[in-house]
Amino acid sequence: MPKPHRVVLDRVSGYADEAAAFMRRRRHVRRPFARVYRANGSSVDHGAESETGTALLAAAGRLLELAATKVER
Amino acid sequence: MSQETRASDTAGILAHVPDRQLAAHSLDHLMELSPEMRGGAILEADAVLAATGDEPGWGDSAAALLAAADADGESAEQVHVATEAGEVFVLREGSLTAVAVTERFVLASLMAFDMRATLRDLAAGGPATDRAAPGAN
Repeated sequence: MPKPHRVVLDRVSGYADEAAAFMRRRRHVRRPFARVYRANGSSVDHGAESETGTALLAAAGRLLELAATKVER
Repeated sequence: MSQETRASDTAGILAHVPDRQLAAHSLDHLMELSPEMRGGAILEADAVLAATGDEPGWGDSAAALLAAADADGESAEQVHVATEAGEVFVLREGSLTAVAVTERFVLASLMAFDMRATLRDLAAGGPATDRAAPGAN
């Protein structure tokens, strides 16, 4: 039978591992991306560090701001 | 080419040119279909037909986004940009363009389907729900 402090340590490290995995997943899904689809069915991903990606993310940021300042029509 | 064929082609070219009121109605309909939408706009070429706020702002920002998407020389049909603050979809259908700003993690394929259907309905004369069914009355 393991000593009581072992049980506590295992449990705490288990929770820490879970939290670390959650944060890794969260970082992954929250990463910004820009994807362009062509008429021929192909698509291109532009990273945030590329010139096109930067321009797309900047323009998208302005659209997000406009949507936040919505006025009643 | 026969006169009949020529006449039907001309009618097709001159078919429906969406007006601003109809476009506003279509945008409202799109927002009803997609409750996760925060705002949007419908453009024809560079002109804003309808938007949920500052129309010139939507036109300029959408044009900037499409210019960036077309930068490699090929015309983009659809653009999807996701940031931590939300997601942006831009879709072209003929001469019409729809822009939608949504919450994060929206289903991209569903959003694109709704946007495409809205633009097709607008080009055909407005939201399908508003058109009388054949044989009605």
